[in-house]
Amino acid sequence: MSAKMNRRSFLVTGAAVGAAGLVGGSLLSACSGGKKDAKLTPLREPGSYYIPELPDKAIDGRPLKAGLIGCGGRGNGAVNDLLEAADGITITALGDVFPDRVQSTRESIAKEHGQEVPAENCFTGFDAYQKVIDSGVDMVIVATPPVFRPVHFQYATSKGVHSFLEKPICVDAKGYRTIMATAKQAEAKGLSVVTGTQRHHERAYVESFKKIQEGLIGEITGGNVYWNQGMLWYRERQKGWSDMEWMIRDWVNWKWLSGDHIVEQHVHNIDVFTWMLGAHPVKATGVGSRQRRITGDQYDNFSIDFEFENGIHMHSFCRQIDGCSSNVSEFVQGTKGSWNSQDFAIRDLQGNILWQYDEEAAKAQFTQHNPYVLEHVDWVNHIRKGEAHIEAAETGQSSLAGTMGREAAYTGNTVTWDEISASELDYMPEKLELGKMDMSKYTVPVPGTGK
Amino acid sequence: MGRKRVIWGFILGGLALGVVLMMGVNIADTYTSTNESCMSCHYHEEADMLWKQSPHHLNGSGTVTDCAACHLPPKQEGLNRYYMIKLKMGAKDLWAKAVKDKEDIDWEAKRQVDYAPRIVYNASCLKCHEDLYPEGISDDGVAAHLYYDENAEKLQLNCVSCHLNAGHYIEGYTHQKLKGTVDTGPGEIYETPATVDRFESFTETVPGTNASIRMVAVPGGEFLLGSPENEPRRRTDEGPQKRVQISRFFMAETEITWRQFWSFYNETMSEGRTPPSVVYELNGRADLDAVTGPTPPFGFPDQGWGMGDRPAITMTHYAAETFCQWLSLKTGRTYRLPTEAEWEYAARGGTGTPYFFEGNPKKYEPKGLGRLLGADTTMIARYVIYEGNSPARTQEPSEVKANPFGLKNMLGNAMEYCADRYAEDAYARIPDGAQDPKGPAEGDEFVVRGGSYADAAGAVRCAARSHTRHDDWLRTDPQNPKSIWWYSDVKAIGFRVVCEVPENID
Repeated sequence: MSAKMNRRSFLVTGAAVGAAGLVGGSLLSACSGGKKDAKLTPLREPGSYYIPELPDKAIDGRPLKAGLIGCGGRGNGAVNDLLEAADGITITALGDVFPDRVQSTRESIAKEHGQEVPAENCFTGFDAYQKVIDSGVDMVIVATPPVFRPVHFQYATSKGVHSFLEKPICVDAKGYRTIMATAKQAEAKGLSVVTGTQRHHERAYVESFKKIQEGLIGEITGGNVYWNQGMLWYRERQKGWSDMEWMIRDWVNWKWLSGDHIVEQHVHNIDVFTWMLGAHPVKATGVGSRQRRITGDQYDNFSIDFEFENGIHMHSFCRQIDGCSSNVSEFVQGTKGSWNSQDFAIRDLQGNILWQYDEEAAKAQFTQHNPYVLEHVDWVNHIRKGEAHIEAAETGQSSLAGTMGREAAYTGNTVTWDEISASELDYMPEKLELGKMDMSKYTVPVPGTGK
Repeated sequence: MGRKRVIWGFILGGLALGVVLMMGVNIADTYTSTNESCMSCHYHEEADMLWKQSPHHLNGSGTVTDCAACHLPPKQEGLNRYYMIKLKMGAKDLWAKAVKDKEDIDWEAKRQVDYAPRIVYNASCLKCHEDLYPEGISDDGVAAHLYYDENAEKLQLNCVSCHLNAGHYIEGYTHQKLKGTVDTGPGEIYETPATVDRFESFTETVPGTNASIRMVAVPGGEFLLGSPENEPRRRTDEGPQKRVQISRFFMAETEITWRQFWSFYNETMSEGRTPPSVVYELNGRADLDAVTGPTPPFGFPDQGWGMGDRPAITMTHYAAETFCQWLSLKTGRTYRLPTEAEWEYAARGGTGTPYFFEGNPKKYEPKGLGRLLGADTTMIARYVIYEGNSPARTQEPSEVKANPFGLKNMLGNAMEYCADRYAEDAYARIPDGAQDPKGPAEGDEFVVRGGSYADAAGAVRCAARSHTRHDDWLRTDPQNPKSIWWYSDVKAIGFRVVCEVPENID
């Protein structure tokens, strides 16, 4: 971490301590039962970790031109969030593989926000990202299917453009390495790079994170993370669509595009544990299968045992099957207690609540509570203050952790961090064009067979 | 009043003196840190010349990095340490200039990767090279630097482990993966293997290649394995001595050469990385008439010393065994690595002395005051490429004389793999009078014999034993799984083959 970031984190923490006088009392007032331990041992020294400032709105400053690469649902959502987060921002360029996506996004931006994206700045095709970045934007939202993220981030950084990278930010080892190297380059250039792991900007999570770092649950000894839900969406193949077009329009069901749902979706939860612990897993062993997914070549359930240094285990569990129990949350066990994100409470080992996020108090203090908006507030604030802020390395590691779990399930073998980070795994097809693909390559993995 | 003035005088005078002293030290430090100042004692023109050809001098940007920038620790790490090291290095150079001849210093050894970290400060590298992921870095580069970031402390990795040529040019030094096949030089392509119908030395010819291997007939016999307890420079793993019987065999006259090894490589190499388990399985199948050979090495496995008849080095034990498997398939004979007992029997050539020639290890490798007097090494230098005559590299077999069996470089040059696994007490487990004893069935490391160009005289005795250090020899390999074919952190390791005597000959 650069000296600059340390100084900023320090100031932020200082401000947070000051603010605690205001809010802290009421936040802690939810305590009941258990004794208060006055002498907590912090997990990490305050100032050595990042706590975002989360004002309701970004600071005013120089007007900024923003581009959008990937005009799907998330891309449109991110545009709305950005324009809600900050004033003085104009969407000046759009890019997508498909013209209809660009067109509908252009229309919706005009309708919702009254901004007219110039027609000459609307680009289509696989190289649209370059054209958007080269069109003179200050910042770019990258919300294409995740396999493309590393290359797009690399190009934006090489041009000195600030990136918002929707999660996950890589789906294979090659992409991971690109992300890690580019993150360093972005930091050297003083860029602001925020990733779409919005829990890092969700007030309840951030307050929980602080408490855990202060030592309220003691040393972390393990955890469980979940993303169990019903089926996500899929697209039936339409007449006239090439193999490539179908795959991209149906991208959440294809390994190479999404990284499978353990990476594409469940990365959020894995990321919460690695964030709290401050370390990436070193090993993964797991199972997974495909029960009821309709299109694509992905699984629809994974159960992975992640192992960390010091022998800490974290169980990760994700499912996209209708008619089953749902649970999207995280649980962290410590030597003195536990925390979970279902009720954002810290309990001692007897189950007494030691601390709980006080939503009412937070509502009294802030008006903006949408983490999707707040992450853009943080992004814009760093850009306007001219401070480097890079989330890509941390999210790169959680994305690779998901990838490691996926490969463990696909192969049936234990996969180590050293193996996966140096692996030749590269999901990017050799040729990117809307045409025929060798569809025989896209099969559902069978553990133990090497296929 | 007067007293106060005196006190003030002291304080101000002390301050002034302090400032003057600091300025003095600073000026002295600046003056003695110039390249000219370094070179005034460290008068080694080659170092200067090679630095000027290195990326730290000859580069696109015109930036020149001075001696002190790399060969002293950064001041930020502590001034005491900085000045201590500076004084020590200065004194060393001064001493060398006063009492040593430039020619007597083994400069080559000081350029090797095992020595370099002692005179190049990693923190100094990192002080300038803050960003290990500059724009334009290759994917392999990123993988290697991520490996460094994760393991630098744990495995004590240094920048110079992989960037040895950064400060001083090294001919042929590269990071690149070897591409395509390797030129094995001129020479007829053999169509058939040699005909062997008698137990006498022959020249194996490997069909489809221009590689030939001179195989020496080693008659069977009895000998004392290990060294007596009173042998100078002996280590305890060389005993207890055992009298054992060895059947006759053929042994390669020399360590397997690059030309021979590349012939194997050219026929069996695979560009893509196959998982080790798959390679082991494929090579373990009796029904296949081909072997899966090495992946392309990174860098230059010959260390820039030249290929040809120099011993092939840095391959793993598995690669050496696979070479034997290939050679057996190509010739229809059984080639393999020697057992440890066969190896020592062959090295001794009927002698029972520390070397197969005359000499006392103590005299060849004097310690203490004896070092100042020097030693008469004429005899050992005639037969062995070792620390005393190598200079820090392997040499071609033509540089030495053969042992009584007609084998060359059994001692020194490159260490040689044996088939046996290593155990410190291996000889204690062998019954006296054993016929063709083999090493223990279990063990993580393999026996390595003969010592190398880098060893002192005591370590190139016939009985001296050593073993592989698998993990350590792969310390800086950033790949995962690490290579099963090439070692990244050992240089002086090679092998020679033996051929079993076909049953139908006399």
